[in-house]
This record gives sequence, C-alpha cells and structure tokens, in this order.
Amino acid sequence: MSNRSSGGNNRPEWLQQYDLIGKIGEGTYGLVFLAKIKSNRTKSIAIKKFKQSKDGDGVSPTAIREIMLLREINHENVVKLVNVHINHIDMSLYLAFDYAEHDLYEIIRHHRDKVNQAINQYTVKSILWQLLNGLNYLHSNWIMHRDLKPSNILVMGDGEEQGVVKIADFGLARIYQAPLKPLSDNGVVVTIWYRAPELLLGGKHYTSAVDMWAVGCIFAELLTLKPLFQGQEVKATPNPFQLDQLDKIFKVLGHPTVDKWPTLANLPHWQSDQQHIQGHKYDSPGLYSVVHLSPKNPAYDLLSKMLEYDPRKRITAAQALDHEYFRMEPLPGRNALVPPQPGEKIVNYPTRPVDTNTDFEGTASLQPAPQASGNQVAGGMGGPHVMGNRNIPRPMHMAGVQRMQQQNMAAYNLASQAGMGGTMNNPGNIPMQRGVAAQPHQQQQQQQQNQLRRKDGMGMPGYPQQKSRRF
Amino acid sequence: MATNFWTSTHLKELLEQEEVDVVHNLDKQRGITLDDFKLIKLQMTNYIARLAQNVKVRQRVVATAVTYMRRVYTKRSMTEYDPRLLAPSCLYLAAKSEESTVQARLLVFYIKKIYPDERYRCEIKEILEMEMKILEALNYYLVVFHPYRSLPQLLQDAGMSDAIQLTWGIVNDTYRMDLILIHPPYLIGLACIYVASVLNEKDNTAWFEDLRVDMNVVKNIAMEILDFYDKQRTISDERVNAAMHKLGLRK
Repeated sequence: MSNRSSGGNNRPEWLQQYDLIGKIGEGTYGLVFLAKIKSNRTKSIAIKKFKQSKDGDGVSPTAIREIMLLREINHENVVKLVNVHINHIDMSLYLAFDYAEHDLYEIIRHHRDKVNQAINQYTVKSILWQLLNGLNYLHSNWIMHRDLKPSNILVMGDGEEQGVVKIADFGLARIYQAPLKPLSDNGVVVTIWYRAPELLLGGKHYTSAVDMWAVGCIFAELLTLKPLFQGQEVKATPNPFQLDQLDKIFKVLGHPTVDKWPTLANLPHWQSDQQHIQGHKYDSPGLYSVVHLSPKNPAYDLLSKMLEYDPRKRITAAQALDHEYFRMEPLPGRNALVPPQPGEKIVNYPTRPVDTNTDFEGTASLQPAPQASGNQVAGGMGGPHVMGNRNIPRPMHMAGVQRMQQQNMAAYNLASQAGMGGTMNNPGNIPMQRGVAAQPHQQQQQQQQNQLRRKDGMGMPGYPQQKSRRF
Repeated sequence: MATNFWTSTHLKELLEQEEVDVVHNLDKQRGITLDDFKLIKLQMTNYIARLAQNVKVRQRVVATAVTYMRRVYTKRSMTEYDPRLLAPSCLYLAAKSEESTVQARLLVFYIKKIYPDERYRCEIKEILEMEMKILEALNYYLVVFHPYRSLPQLLQDAGMSDAIQLTWGIVNDTYRMDLILIHPPYLIGLACIYVASVLNEKDNTAWFEDLRVDMNVVKNIAMEILDFYDKQRTISDERVNAAMHKLGLRK
C-alpha cells in the first residue's frame, strides 16, 4: 500500500507537491516552513517539522497531542491540519497547516510601534468574537488549549478567508474529560502573562476557565496594545511561585478574597502563604482605568467577567458569545481586518518575515539570499522583515518518506462534515460553524459582501445575527 | 472531535466484520489462516496487558493499545509488522496518547524480564521506528473511545451496581476480539451488561427495552462474547505456538 519512494529519488513524493518559500519560525519542537502547493499556487502551507526528541523517546508527546486533537476537529476558527508526513530516515514528523499570514502578536505590535494608533473597534470585536467562537467549539468538545497568547492566534491574510481568526498551536492542548493523571502532571502551562490566577497559586485540577482568563488578557491587549499583566517570570524548576505575576494582577484587579473566591483557600500557594502572598494589600482595583473604558461600557463588562478571579464564576466562551458587547454596533464580522464601513481606514499589516536562506531539506546556504527573491515569492514582503541567517538547521534527509494515501486524505477532509451531533456538548446552544463549505464564492464577492454584510446580518453561518439571538 | 463520539474518526472508521477478517496475502503465503490470525491477535492482546501491568499503566491505555494493534492489522500484514514488535510499540504509543507516557527503555527491560523467548526481544530503536509506522498505518487517527467510562452509570441505572467488577472484566475480554473495530463502544458496553445479566440470571428485559438502542445489535454482540468464551476453552498453547511459529523468526 505504501508508495515509498525508491532510494535514488531524494525528493519524496509528498514533498514534490510543495514549493518551499522559506523558514518562518523556530521553536523548541523544531522548525516551521512556508511552502506553496504546486497545483494551486495561491494556496500557502505552513509546514511544522518536529524533531525527534533528544532523550531517545520517539515522537514528542507534544506532536502526538497536536496530531491527535487536530485530526478530530474541524472548525473555521481553528487552524486546519491538512497533512501529516513522516520521514523514516531521520525520524522526523511534518505537520502541514493552512498558512495564516498574520498573528495577533504582529498585529498588536504593528499598531503599537508603527501605526501608533489603536486597533479599530470592529477589528477588535471581530477578532474576539471569532476567538471565542473557536474556543467555544474546543471547550464544548472537552478540549482545553492551555497556551493561548497573541502569537498563537492567527489571522488569515489575502484570499478567500481573509481576516478569519484561527486558533493555533495545540502542543499543550488536551482532552479534559477523563484524565488518567492530574492535569498538573504536564508541568505548568500557559505563558505567564496570560496565566490564570488559579494556576499561579498552584491549582492542580484546573478547567477550561484558564483559557478564558487568557482571552481576557488578550482582549485587554487588543484594546491597549500593551500586555495587561506583564510580570517578571521566575525561571526555575519545577514550577516556581510567580509572585511578580500575581502582584501585577492584584494591583489591577485588587486583592482576592475567600469571600468572593471560596476555593481560593484550598489553592496550595495561597494556603501555604508563599512569600506572604495573603498579607499583601492592594489599593482599590482599577481595571477600567488601565483599559481606558467606562465601567458602564459593555466591553468593560465582558472583560471584567473574563478576568473574574473565581474560575467557577468566570464567564464561559458560550456565555461570552452571547454578551451584549457583540450585539452592539459595530457588529463583529468574518473578515476581521476589513471593516464593513466603506471609507474606513484599512490597515495593511506586514507579512510574516521569511528566511529564504533555508531550503526544504533544512540545509541552509551560508550566503544571504537576495531580498528580491523573498519579495517575489512572499508577495511584496518588505526587505527589512527578512530574517537574518541566525541559525543553520541541521541537515535532514527526506528520502524514503511515505506519502499520505489519497483515499485517506479524502476521508480526512470530510471530517466533521456530519455536523456537531450531540447538542448536549454545546451547552450554550451557540450556533456553530459546520465546516467551511458554505463560502464558495468568497473571493469573487469579497467586496460586495463587505458592503452588504451589515444589512444581511453578515450572511455568514454561525455569526451572530441580531434577529435570531435569544435574549 | 476529541470526545464527541458522534463526530469522531473512531465512528467514521468503524469496519464491517468481513473487512476485519482478512488475512493479508503475505501472511497467507506463510500458511496463516483466519483462525491463526485471530489467535495471534489474541496472544498479542494478552502480551500487551501483561506488559502494561509491569510498567503500571491503566486499563484504558491497554484498551487503546490493543485497538491500535488490531487497527494496524486491518491495513498491514504480520509478515511486515511483526506482532512481537508491534504489540509493545502500540502500548508505547497508546501510553503517549493517553497521557501516561512510558519510556521505551522501560518496555525493553520488562520485555526481557517477562519473556525469556528471544523472539520477543527488541531494541529501543526498533520501538521508536515502529511507533512512526503505526502512526502512519493508523492514518494519524489516535483518539479511541472505550465502553469503560459510561459503565458505572449504566449499571447503576440498571440496578446492577453490584455487577461492576464482573461487567468490567467482560469489557476487558472484548478486547481479545475485534469488537472495538466494528461496533460503537456504547453498544459493546451494553452487550457486556447483557452478558452480565445472563450470567447473574437477572432479568433486565424492561431496562434494555427502555433504552433506545437496537437490541438486535446488542444481542448479537453478546452472542459473540459468549461464543468467544466457549471457544476460548479449546484454545491450547500448542495451537497458539503453531500459529506464532508460522510467522517464523524475526529478522
């Protein structure tokens, strides 16, 4: 069944369907490449290469988690895994995703450092709504993301899905219905600025509410362009107590009390009164002044409900989608980057930096690539964004990699077309996106749709329509 | 969906009995019959369970590992994927996907300890290579559902809470067959409750009728389980050894 390429051919078949553009990222897990599909030059793919873990323990659990979850899920606001490839020679694993040009980290930075202007309300609201929509889908399927932060929230660039938000990076995500081990066994998760107070205080059996806290932090950051709680991380193992992060939170939200948060008393670091955390006194809270919102503003109301100390009282993704904020003008839309009001200023976000020095085999030429080639392939990418040749990845050999079988890929693409099934898994009964097949004419009609969107309730399945909302 | 069975790859990938009972040509050439094929899978199920006891992982990990092993053999031959290497490798992968990671060297250590037979020996590197081959053969579908989770609730509802251990044991035994590849886990669970009712001589007809499930399917699964128990008495070590012998030596 497997059509393993013969030894003489050092470009395996699966690789031949792509044209490499360059390297776009690097993490502890491995490298990320940008490539185009030869048969469809308009389609870009991000290929994430997982290195074999150093301790000789096979495919990294991170990769297993990511594959396992992404293979089961299918939602417009979750990044789409289009293919998995294995190279048996160097035992590396490749995940191919639909490529998203932007992420919130870059968008926020662009506004802060380049445009010097707040992100417009329509964009903030649309991003937040889509983020919550994706998260609601994950949570109603018992998946916690656990590592939400601006750089993991992608936004699609030009094309039929322009301005659509995609939740990415499921390396820490997991199913939380029936864990065999306490959730804290995986080590502390969530980048500390976005980490929920129950985690900072040593909570072990945390819930999907940790993702909502992170969304609250991201919402505030979209509004102010600054991370809301920018604590200094204590780097030590294992799981050090992050006093500074808690201090930053308490300064803005006030001192937590057992009165308002009954289970606080059971949290290990609070109970043991680490570094006299209980005794710190903080002035009256001032979240509204930090985010420059009136306490009466629905945006402020929603934000404060996301930043509720007690995880059991914290607003859920389903409840948040139903919040008044999303029923007010401007209404959220599918293309978060292009406001529906004609004449409104459209911000052109820079495209992602691509290191064109790296070739698909992972070998890098030592000479800097001419910038022109970067511009050509990445579509008008600015010269200064081209990454330096900082790191030369070790060579990898791609011969002998098997290709995904055609029939299996077809089956995979049908994933979840059957719909959501048991409605009991959709607690808020929020209308949900059922696959992306509903937008075939997107590209051609982009402009009309932009103009029509406000009149016809955006015409997008799953988007809040004022008429059909239940109050 | 990770834990929504109704939209899962598990449901979509369920097979018909006839699709599962196919001996691959390469294996046929070695004289392996359908009975041998089933016996070897049964033997490997026991192997996985025994190894799991030693490395101390829970029943759900065993169940997932056995499911992986049985799924792989619907796609690949035993000649190419030696069961004595595939079985521990499936346990290795299942431990990861069930968030109970076990080190490969620990598996290698226990394999040596519990199986003096040289043919079971394997190296860490072989397990790691096989892990990737399994991923591929499974088409990267790793989420597996099992009947265990709903069992206590169902039994309580049926007024059979005292039969939890018996029923649990029957569910464990279903992994010695290919039921998990063919039927949705909740139906397998109900069939096990049905078998437990029969064994306990408890009349649960009314309770079963109240469930909106196809009782014919449940009864058919129950019959298969009872058949299996009957046949199992006749399985001798000689027959298992003869079947394993046809596979020949590794490498």
